[in-house]
Formats: sequence, structure tokens, C-alpha cells
Amino acid sequence: MNAANRKVYVVDDDAAVSKGVCRLLRSAGYEPQAFNSAMEFVQYYRASLPGCLVLDVSMPGISGLELQSWLEKLNSPLQIVFLTAQGDIPTSVNAMKHGAVDFLTKPVNETALFKAVEEALRRAQKFAAARTETEAILTRLATLTAREREVLEHIVSGQLNKQVAAQLGTVEKTIKVHRARVMEKMGVTSVAELARMAEKIGIANLPVPSSASPAPPAPPNHRVSA
Amino acid sequence: MQAELGNTGILTGAKAKLGAGAQGWGAGINSGMLRAGLLVFVGYYLGAQLGLALTFHPHPVSVMWPPNSILLAALLLSPVRTWWFLLVCALPAHLISEVQGGVPLRMVLCWFLSNCSEALIGAGLTRFLAGSTANFARMRGIGTLFLCGGLIGPFLSSFVDAEFVALNQWGNQEYWVVWRMRFFSNVFTALTLTPAIVIWATGGWQFLRSISKTRWLEAVVACAGLLTASLWTFCWQKAGPDSIPSLLYVPLPFLLWAAVRFAPNGTSAGTLCIALLAIWGAVHGYGPFGSHSPQQNALAIQIFFIVVAIMFMFLTASIGERARAEERFTKAFRASPDAMLISRLSDGHIIEVNERWEKMLGYRKSETLGRAITDLNIYTSRANREAFLAVTETREHFQGSDVSLLKKNGEQLYAMISGDVEEIGGEPCWIFIIRDVTDRKRAEEAQQNLAHLTRVTTLGELGGSLAHELNQPLTAILSNAQAATRFLDMDPSDMPEVRRILKDIVQEDRRAGEIILRMRGMLRKEEARMLPQDLNEIVVEVLGFLRSELLIRNVTASTRLAPNLPSVQGDHVRLQQVLLNLIVNACEAMGHTPASKRIIVIETQEAGEGLVQASVLDHGPGFPSRNSPQMFEPFRTTKPNGLGLGLPICRSIVESHGGRLWVENGVGEGAIVRFTLKTEVEVTA
Repeated sequence: MNAANRKVYVVDDDAAVSKGVCRLLRSAGYEPQAFNSAMEFVQYYRASLPGCLVLDVSMPGISGLELQSWLEKLNSPLQIVFLTAQGDIPTSVNAMKHGAVDFLTKPVNETALFKAVEEALRRAQKFAAARTETEAILTRLATLTAREREVLEHIVSGQLNKQVAAQLGTVEKTIKVHRARVMEKMGVTSVAELARMAEKIGIANLPVPSSASPAPPAPPNHRVSA
Repeated sequence: MQAELGNTGILTGAKAKLGAGAQGWGAGINSGMLRAGLLVFVGYYLGAQLGLALTFHPHPVSVMWPPNSILLAALLLSPVRTWWFLLVCALPAHLISEVQGGVPLRMVLCWFLSNCSEALIGAGLTRFLAGSTANFARMRGIGTLFLCGGLIGPFLSSFVDAEFVALNQWGNQEYWVVWRMRFFSNVFTALTLTPAIVIWATGGWQFLRSISKTRWLEAVVACAGLLTASLWTFCWQKAGPDSIPSLLYVPLPFLLWAAVRFAPNGTSAGTLCIALLAIWGAVHGYGPFGSHSPQQNALAIQIFFIVVAIMFMFLTASIGERARAEERFTKAFRASPDAMLISRLSDGHIIEVNERWEKMLGYRKSETLGRAITDLNIYTSRANREAFLAVTETREHFQGSDVSLLKKNGEQLYAMISGDVEEIGGEPCWIFIIRDVTDRKRAEEAQQNLAHLTRVTTLGELGGSLAHELNQPLTAILSNAQAATRFLDMDPSDMPEVRRILKDIVQEDRRAGEIILRMRGMLRKEEARMLPQDLNEIVVEVLGFLRSELLIRNVTASTRLAPNLPSVQGDHVRLQQVLLNLIVNACEAMGHTPASKRIIVIETQEAGEGLVQASVLDHGPGFPSRNSPQMFEPFRTTKPNGLGLGLPICRSIVESHGGRLWVENGVGEGAIVRFTLKTEVEVTA
């Protein structure tokens, strides 16, 4: 495993807790980093941040659950392990529904913590790998011309060259040429492969190549503190 | 009584007159006033006759001149608005008696003026200094009378008199001789006659009625002794070089008897009686006052009786004060709603208990008297008895000690005991006052129990957040400890890190300990201890205690604490409880408030008049105003798992601290609960 995969962010408003948890993680070879509030972490956050987030639920200002939903909107690869001093079932169910890896109660035993963090890191890596693949497909897709994309959509929907040509108002030979170009540009050798790729990125809602990437959502509302 | 005291008709007249005077003479000239005027007329006339009869010829001033003193007494006993009438009534009496003696009319009128001036000065000043309700049987009353009526009145009016004598060229004496003779004569009369009249007029009847049969017998014996001694001394021995001057002390023991046993009434009457006999004797050539020139004899009689009157009247007044004080004490002792017990200081034996003692403790008087107070089985414990002994042995005064005592039937009694060492019957004694405070104590206990119950309930409601609070240090400790084990297992071990970890563990353990300590403090059931408290500090403590609760409820608390807030008098835990309850209530009230507006504000400020005010403001829906009075009823709650004792107990705690608690609605939204507490009273040493 490389260094990036050992990164654990610990967010807890109680400095003594985050310090202790970070120590424990460091003693097991992880690379922990402590944050004393969710806001501190939000300010630090970058899209490419890999790894695992050990997150306290109740904190003054932005709570753990609010931070989770913010990250979810950003489609962050970070995997969250919740750590709470008072875990009630509705809260934990809600957290798990929104993709949390685990919901641990304080005081947490090292075995449970390591197991959850390990799982989180594994998922984060998988998520990162999947995202890398999707991004590669999207890059290739961006090289297609408008006509080639039309042809691609028809092919992956299982139509024959002849049918495609009829629908696009051209001859079968032209379609064949387009099809060869599409296969080449997408780096595949069979239609089956192309279909799997299209499925992965969800061909129905392909991003429009020309539009800019959407702005990240605003950080959760930060309440006034006394 | 008059006859027994061997008095002349003057006193009878004066007494009758003053009896009417005591009933009060009405406004205008009514029948009462007319009667009083008549009495003054008769009294003045008879007094003048007596005065003339007691004149040593060729002395122009008699030894004793009763009219002035009778007039003074009459004024003292009457309302000021009737004085003019009494003086008018005295005039004819004066004219008749003086003109009979062949004195020119001008001189007669002048003397009337000087006599009136004496009575007016004496009565006016006495009224002014002692008030219209002065009691002449008391030290203050008799002192004022002697000073104003007996001294200042004669002193000033004698100048007027001597001036008139000189003006009318009456007699052939020098100015100062006339002044001196008149002064002493009038002082003597005012000191012997006026007290007798006013004292008998104001309290004579009451005095006679209060005398028991044996007392009557004693009075008869005393009177007989006094008369015999006086007659023998003043009216039996022939005056002359053979008479023994010290004989005049013979009647004095009987006068002392009167002073000790028969109040100012007996003393004043006795003094007057001896004085009259002495003058009569001297005029007729008997007794120790007949041996020199008439002038010298007159002066000797006057000075002797001035001294005797002052001495014995003050003595009897002071005896009276003492007797009254003792009587008051006895009455208070008997009727006291508190149990009282008197024990001798020397051997601790109980010499007196009151009725309430018998009822309160169940011991009859007969089984209490004569025993030592420490022998009674009234102490709930040995330590209790020792403590009591220690206090009575080392101190001479203590106040308001709360103790529990055992009744004879074994029931327990809460009492507040005060004690004082006083001399009683010539011996130093402890007087203990025992007040039954069982009811108050029970009420306090009930409040204490209720306060405790609600604290426990509140802490129960806060269970989740308290667990959260405690979990934080526990988490830090566990993580640190497990990390330390791993750092030790490493090769090489990271000893510096392990040392740092252990230090942190110790710190976190202390933190957990403090949380538990705070909780135990709140859960403890203790009597309230009123000590100076900093309310601001308590606000900060309670917010610390509620940190997790606020966090979980997503509530932000802000404070506006007045700097230099005076300390308040109160019990720490109770005041914490009030704030805790109010803050938790405020949080609960904001359950449906959007998270961004869940703010509570805690304010403290000086409220003037020795009060400090604290307020808890929330942003909830506010109080439905029509429910306001009911909110303080116990067991009324809007919470599914609340006891409904929050607000009532807060109010009862605040009120037991001498403060007030009330609710208001905020200006825009939300509710405000305010309460006041008394600031600590500066105790000056």
C-alpha cells in the first residue's frame, strides 16, 4: 500500500480525544492528522484528498453528519468512520445510509477502530480506482465528434449498422467507418467492451463535453458561536 | 389611709380634687373643670391657712408654703388648655387668705403673680421634658419633677418674689435674705407635698386595691411605727440645749420600710407626714429643730427634708423599676411561647422551668427542678451532650444553636437554643430559651428532599449528555493507553512518546474524576449552607456541566455577565440547580426552533436594593401567557418524561433564598425566566 492510502483525518472538537486517537493510529502505522472542528477540516479539504475520515458526531458549529452530507455532495472519495460518545440508532442508521463505513461508540477499542479504518481505506482506494477508470473513459469520450457519439449511442443500444444508417439517414458504409473510429478512439476491440464502458459511465446522462465542471456545494451552514 | 397617715385636711382635699383631675377636664368650662376649679380654690385656701399656721413669727415666709405646690400639682394633673382657669380659681382663695393676714392688696397680688409663675414654670418644664403621660412613680418622672418643679420653678420665681417684696417695701429684710427664705421654703414644699399629691392622684386607688390583706396589716404596723417614732422625736421632746440632734434619725427606718415595701405612694405620704409633724413640733417648741433661732430652725427643717425626700423618693423609684423589670421577666417567663429553663451556674442545678417546658419536653416541673441539666435524658447522642457542656462551660452567651433533643416519650424534637448568664436571686444563672423548630425543620427537610429529587431527575434526563461528557476523557485514556502499549512493543521503544502519553492519561483521568465529582455534588442530599457565592461563577460552572447537553441539542449558549457583580448569599448546589433547570428548560423549549436560531442567553446584572438578577432567555415559542400562574404548580408538565417540578422547585429555592422568580415573554420571540437573589449582607464586626 502506498503512503496516500494510510492517510487518516481525525476530526473531533475534543483535543484530548483527537490527540489520543491520532497516537493510536500512528502507533499502528497509519498517518493520522487531527482537526479540532469540522470547519477546520472544510478549510483544509481538497477534492483530491484520499483516505479515511474518523469523524465525531456532535461538535459545536458544523456537526459530523453535516460534514458527511457536504462531502457526499462533493462526491468525495473520502470514506467516513463515525466515532460518537452517544450513539443512538436513528443517527447511526442515517449515517450508514449515507455511506459511512462504520459507526463506532466511544471509548473505542483499537481492534474495532483499526478494522473500520482498514475497511475505509480499502473502499477509498477502490473508489479512487473506479474514479480513475471513469475519468479515463470520459477523457476518451471527449475526443469523439458529435456524429461519432451519435453512432456510439446507437451501437451500445444494440442496433445493427444497417439500422443505425437508416436512422441517421446515411449509408451503411459510412456507419462502418464511424464505428471503426469510435472503437479506435475508445481503445476497445469489441462492441461488448464498449457496452460495458458505456454502462459504467451511464451513457444516458453523458456529460456534455463543452460544459465546465459544476461548482462544489457551499460548506454547511456555520452557526454563530458565542 | 389618710387618717392613718395622720394627714391634715389639705391632702384629703387635694386627693379628691386630683381624683377628678385624673378623669380629665374637658374643653371649655364644663362641670369637670368647674369641679377642678373648686378643688383648687379649696386646696389653695386650706394650703395657705396651713402655711400661715406654720409661720415662725416674725418670719414673713412660712417654713412650708403649700399653695404653690398644690397649684403645681393641679397644673401637672390637668390639660394645658385648662391651666388659665385653675389659676383664676386660685386667685380668690389667695385674696381671702392673704387679706385676712392684713397684707396690703398690692403685695397680695404681687405674691399671687410670683406663686403662679412658680407653678407655671415648674409644670411647663416638667410637661416639656417628661411629656404629658409622665409617670411620677418612675425614676425619669420623679427626677424631672424634682428638677423642674422642685428646683428651677422656685429658683426663678424667688427672684420675682424678692423683687416684689423690695418694690412694695414689705418687711425689712434684705433682698437676698427674702430670696433665700422663699427659695428653701418652696423647694421643701415642692419636694414633699407635690409628689404625694400627683402620685396619689394618679395611682393611689390602684395602689390601695393592689394591697393584699397581710400587706394591709404590715402597712398598719409601719404607719404606727412611723407615727410613734415621729411623735416621740418631734412632738414629745422639749426643744432646747438638752435635746439630742441625732434623734431625728429615729423615724427614718420606718420611712425606709415604706420605701422598700410600699412604693412611692407610701414613701411620699410618709415623708410628708414626718415633715408636717416636725414643723408642728418646731413651731410649738418641741423636737430637735427647736433649739436655735426661728430662721435657723426653719432652714434646718427645710434642708433636712429636702435631702430626705430626694433620697427616699429616688430609692423607692429605683426599687420600683427593679421590681417592674423582675415582674416583666416573670411574666415573660411564664407566658413565653418558648420553653425556658434557669439553672445555677455553680452546680448546674435547674431552679426554674416554665409551663411551655413541661409541654415541649414532657418533663413535669417537679421532676426537673433540682436536677442538673446534664442529667436530663434530653440529648440525642453523647456527642450532643458533650457539645452542650462545652458551650455552657466556656461561654456566657450563645444564640440560636440548632440542636435535636429527645422528649421524655422518646420523640425527637428540633430546637433552637439560646442561653445567657444572668444574676438571679443573687446568683449567676444560665437562662436557656428553647424554641421548637420541628415544623420549620420538617418543611426544610421536605424542600431539601424535593430539591434533591428534582436534581436526581434532572441528572437522569441529562444522562445521555453526561455519558458523553464522561466518554471523552475515557476515549482519550483508552486510545492513549493502547497506543502506549504499541509504542513499547516497537523496536526500539518510543520511550519519550510513552512518557508524554502517560502524562496525558493522568490529565484525562483527573478530568473524568472532576466530572464525577461534580455529578456527585449535585446528587448529594445536604442541608442548604448559606455562604457568599459568585453568581457569574456558578453560571460558568453550569454551562461547563451542560457542555455536552448543549452540543447534542445543537444549542449555542452565550452569556452577558455583569462585571464586579456583588456576591449573593446562598447555597452553591441549590443555585447551580436553579440555573441548570432553567437552562435545560430553555433548551427543551427550542426543540422546534431552526438549528441556526437555537441560542440561549444568560444574563446577570445588579438590580439595586441589595439584589442581583439573573435571566435565561431562549428563542423557543415563549410562554402561553394565560398559563403563566399554572406553570409554577407542581406536577404540571409539557414533557412526556418530566416530573413537572422544574419551575416550582426553582421558584421555591429562589424564594427560600429571599429572592423572587418570574417569567416573561421576549420582545420578539422566546421566553425569559428571571430571578433575583439577595446580595451578601456586609457584616460589620
